[in-house]
Amino acid sequence: MRDFLDDRPLRLRRDRPSDQGYWRVVAVAIGLVLLSLLLTVLDRQGVISPARLAVREALQPLTGWLTAQRAAIETWWATPRDIATMQSRIAELEAENARLTSEVLRLEQARVENIFLRQQLAITRAHPWKVLGAEVMVRAPEAARRVLIIARGAEDGVRVGMAVIGQQPGAPPALIGVVETVGARTADVLMITDISSQISVRLLQPDGAPLGLMQGQWQRGSRLRVELIDRNTTLQVGDHVVTAGLSGALDLPLDLAAMPAAVPIGAIETVRQEGQRQIGEIRPFVDPDQVRYVWVILSQEE
Amino acid sequence: MGDSQPRRIEERLARELGLALILLALALVQVTLLIGPTGFSVPLLLVLAIARALVGVSTAEPVRGLIRGLWWAFYGGLGLDIMSTLPLGSHAAAQLLAVAIVGLVARRFAIERSLVSLLAVAAGTIIYEATLYVVTVPFDSDWQRYVLIAVLPSLLLALIPTLPVVAIVHRLTRLSG
Repeated sequence: MRDFLDDRPLRLRRDRPSDQGYWRVVAVAIGLVLLSLLLTVLDRQGVISPARLAVREALQPLTGWLTAQRAAIETWWATPRDIATMQSRIAELEAENARLTSEVLRLEQARVENIFLRQQLAITRAHPWKVLGAEVMVRAPEAARRVLIIARGAEDGVRVGMAVIGQQPGAPPALIGVVETVGARTADVLMITDISSQISVRLLQPDGAPLGLMQGQWQRGSRLRVELIDRNTTLQVGDHVVTAGLSGALDLPLDLAAMPAAVPIGAIETVRQEGQRQIGEIRPFVDPDQVRYVWVILSQEE
Repeated sequence: MGDSQPRRIEERLARELGLALILLALALVQVTLLIGPTGFSVPLLLVLAIARALVGVSTAEPVRGLIRGLWWAFYGGLGLDIMSTLPLGSHAAAQLLAVAIVGLVARRFAIERSLVSLLAVAAGTIIYEATLYVVTVPFDSDWQRYVLIAVLPSLLLALIPTLPVVAIVHRLTRLSG
C-alpha cells in the first residue's frame, strides 16, 4: 500500500503553507470532474455501458464470495454465546417447534380429510347414493370375527343393515361390510369376509344377471364365495358381482332391507364344481382389512 | 538515482494501475462487507481520499499531496461506480468535489488535531451526498427528508473510521518518506 501513496517520497512540512501553485490543484480537480462527467454522458448514451457491465460480471464471483462472508459474520455475531441466552433461545425454538409440529399435524389431518371428501364427492356423483363418511376407529380384537368399529352412530343416522363401502386406488367403491350394531356415536360393521356374512348378489353376465348367495370365507382361509341359486346357469371367471338388494326390493322387514341394489363387490376369480353345485371364489374390489376410511350408504335415490 | 530523476512512463502507469486496483478492491469491500443491516455502507473510499488529501497538504509539497488525494478520489469513485447502479463517473465526480473543496479549505489547519480531520470528513461527506443528490434525485423532491434519511446516517458512518484511517495514511506517508 505504501508504494502507491505517492510517486515520490514525501517530505513532511516544516514551515507555513503558501498559496503558490494551488491553481494546479483546481485545474486537476476541474479536469477530473469533467472527465467524470464525460464518462457519465457516455454511460448514459450506452457507449461504455457494455465494458462496465463486463467488469462487473467479471467481479461477480468475488462480490458473491465477499457478500457470503459478510452473511457468515452476521450469523456468527447474532449467535448467542452465554448459557442463559442460549437456554432462552432453545426454549423459544422448542416452543416454536411444538407449535409448528401441531400446525403440521393439523394440516396433515386436513389433507387426509380432503382426500376422503373428494372420494365421497366422486362416489355421490357416480352413484345414486347418499353416503356418510366414517373413520375406522378399531378392528375387533377377537380373531374369530371380522368386525370393525366406525366413528359414526345412531346420532348420525346410521341404522342396522346399512351397507358400508370403501375405496382403494384404482378400484371402484365397493361393499366391505354391513352395519351390525349401532351405538349413539359408533357402529359395528360386519365385514363381508366374515363367515356369518351372507348377502344376496347378482352376477353381471352378458345374457342376464342371475341371483346368487355370497358368504364370507375368512375363517376358512379364503375371502368370499358365491353359489348360484339357478343351477342351470354357468359361472364365468371375470363376472362382476354386485348386491341384489332383494330385501329392500321385496320390502321385507329385515335388517338387510337397507342394503341397496347394484353395490359393487368384486369379480369371480376361480370357479370349481362341488357335486351339482358351482362355487365361485370372489376377489373383492376393496380389501376390507385395508380400509381406514369408509362410507355408510344412508339411502338410495329412486 | 535521486528524486529529481524522471521516472519511466511505464513505471508510473504501473503504479497508477496498481493504485486503481487496490482502490477497486476496497470499493468491493465497501459495497459488500461494510454494509449494515439498514443498507447504509461506511464510505471508506471517501474517507480514504479525504485522509490522503489532508495528509498530502501537511507535507512539504502540499500541492502534489493534494493532487494525489484527487486521484485517489477519482479511482475510488470509479470503483464505486462500477459496483453501483448510477452512471459511470457519478461517484467519482462527487468524491472529487468533496476532496478538492475540503483539501483546499483544510490546508491552513493542522491535521494533527482530531477535530480538523473529523470536520473535514463531515464536510466532505455532506458535499459528496449533496452531489449525488443532484445527480440522482429529482429537483422537486424533498431535500430535507433526504438529509434525514440519507445524509445524516452516511455522515455518522463516515466519522467512525475517520481517525484510524487518517492515522494509518499519515503513518504510511511518513514511512514512505
